[in-house]
Amino acid sequence: MKSEESTLNKVPPSHANDLNAYPMKERGFINFLVITAGFLLITPILSVHRVTDFMIFCIFVMSFDLMYGYMGRLSFGHMLFLGTGAYCSGLFIRYISGNPLLAILMGTFMAGLLAMLIGLVIVRTTGACFSLINLAFNQIGFFLVLSPLRGITRGEDGFGVRVSSFGFFNFANTTFKFWFVLLCLLLVFYLLKRVTTSPYGILIRSIKEDETRVKFLGYNTFFYKWLTFVLAGGVGGLAGTLSALNYNFVNPNMMDVHSNVGVVFASLIGGAGNLYGALVGGVVYMLISNFLPIYIHRWEMFLGFSLLIIVFKFRKGVWGNIQDIWEYIQKRKGAPRLPA
Amino acid sequence: MLEIKNLDVAYGHAKALHDISLKIETGQMAFLIGRNGAGKTTLLKTIIGLLKPLKGSITYQGNEISSLSPEEHYLKGLRYVAQEKKVFGNLTVRENIEIAAYASGEPLERALDKVMSIYPKLKDFLKTKAGQLSGGQRQILLVGRALVGEPKLLLIDEPTQGLAAIVIEEIVSILSGLREKVSAVIVEQNLAMVNRLADRIYILKEGKVARETVERSEISDTRGLEEYL
Repeated sequence: MKSEESTLNKVPPSHANDLNAYPMKERGFINFLVITAGFLLITPILSVHRVTDFMIFCIFVMSFDLMYGYMGRLSFGHMLFLGTGAYCSGLFIRYISGNPLLAILMGTFMAGLLAMLIGLVIVRTTGACFSLINLAFNQIGFFLVLSPLRGITRGEDGFGVRVSSFGFFNFANTTFKFWFVLLCLLLVFYLLKRVTTSPYGILIRSIKEDETRVKFLGYNTFFYKWLTFVLAGGVGGLAGTLSALNYNFVNPNMMDVHSNVGVVFASLIGGAGNLYGALVGGVVYMLISNFLPIYIHRWEMFLGFSLLIIVFKFRKGVWGNIQDIWEYIQKRKGAPRLPA
Repeated sequence: MLEIKNLDVAYGHAKALHDISLKIETGQMAFLIGRNGAGKTTLLKTIIGLLKPLKGSITYQGNEISSLSPEEHYLKGLRYVAQEKKVFGNLTVRENIEIAAYASGEPLERALDKVMSIYPKLKDFLKTKAGQLSGGQRQILLVGRALVGEPKLLLIDEPTQGLAAIVIEEIVSILSGLREKVSAVIVEQNLAMVNRLADRIYILKEGKVARETVERSEISDTRGLEEYL
């Protein structure tokens, strides 16, 4: 009888509080400081241009993680939005106006708009179907910029993007681009942090667990899935616009379906379903893909092996395991001392 | 409150329910009992809109609801607590309640108070991941979550299945406290619980209503009911 009673009253081990020891506002500030310091620290070792590229990729991984890590929908076609953002901002600069801020808005908006339209079809599906339909749309987009729209996109050759200096906004300056991208990354991080910790965030995490049960709670899950898809597409588009401005160039590689492997890897390496994981994964993946080819000829094979290790041994990714170690240490601290 | 008339339900070509008719008045607790495969869960799933009937009608507060989706049922005040005690395991207990509060428009604090009022000990687990709770705690959380908003009819599938006696007692006392406040249709094999709570019993056998009773003497006759289990 006593043991049965203890089952019902037993408080399971929880360390949820340990990582939430600071008030929300303070934690947000600490997050910003840590992220900024992290990127500043690696800048002298790498280069300003390269770290800017890393940060853009991290924005892209965060947008992917919203859909995969939080909502549980694995897309094999997320590059479509990066490419759409890059092309739309690039074409805007080339044919309409050299204003970089308007170009960024245009690229982000067009990627979001595309997500709005195709999302109406895509989010009705789940599992492999969801992944493959995304892949199919990505392939269509890639083909469109490569061939039928060659007249304006210049096909395989791509085109240069030259922005005019707009007051304080001088995108010809590498240092300015670094700080601007860092600001964008922090804003995206803040936005997605707010979103994923709001009731809406709870809802999309519930959809990942069991969509049918979410419907039992009175939710129109289609709408929330669509909204998440649009948000992920828009943020992916922002990464594309920044990429176009960083390279001053747009070509079909920015929409290449094969490049989807990178964002999936990065998300898994860092730990899906966590924005810090997306940042860590983004940086680690970029380090691997930038430096490993110098030492290993077929570096993709190494990536394959590392994915196997992650899938079988470290499913929570780098950040998930850091969290586990942190919780373990906290548990040890709180545990009663053994008698001497 | 709920009236089902001549309901037929099938899984593909296999008919699971044949000509089911039943009626539940406001404030009543009706129990569905029967052997495994008798169609009890199928009937609950049909009421909540997960399965579409081949024929027949389901009327709730005078309106036909058989063509509505599960989310529309929720908004009409129907709450379904499924058999598998499946909470959102990766969400905390608080978030599990929060998601229901958000859906129903009930302020979170009031929703939390409501759930805590049926089981105050849950307060200790608010920041715990729901997946770490014991089976009994999960069942209580699910019942508590179903009470968020303005529920009018609870549909609960085997609430005591696989639980220890002390936990069953807790659940019986929680459900007993809900009498007169909400109506309920409960699938249950535990006849002691049926005896204590039921206002009406429907015995299902091979997809049909084999017996129906509101008589206290028949509800208390657990031996008589056992032959249907």
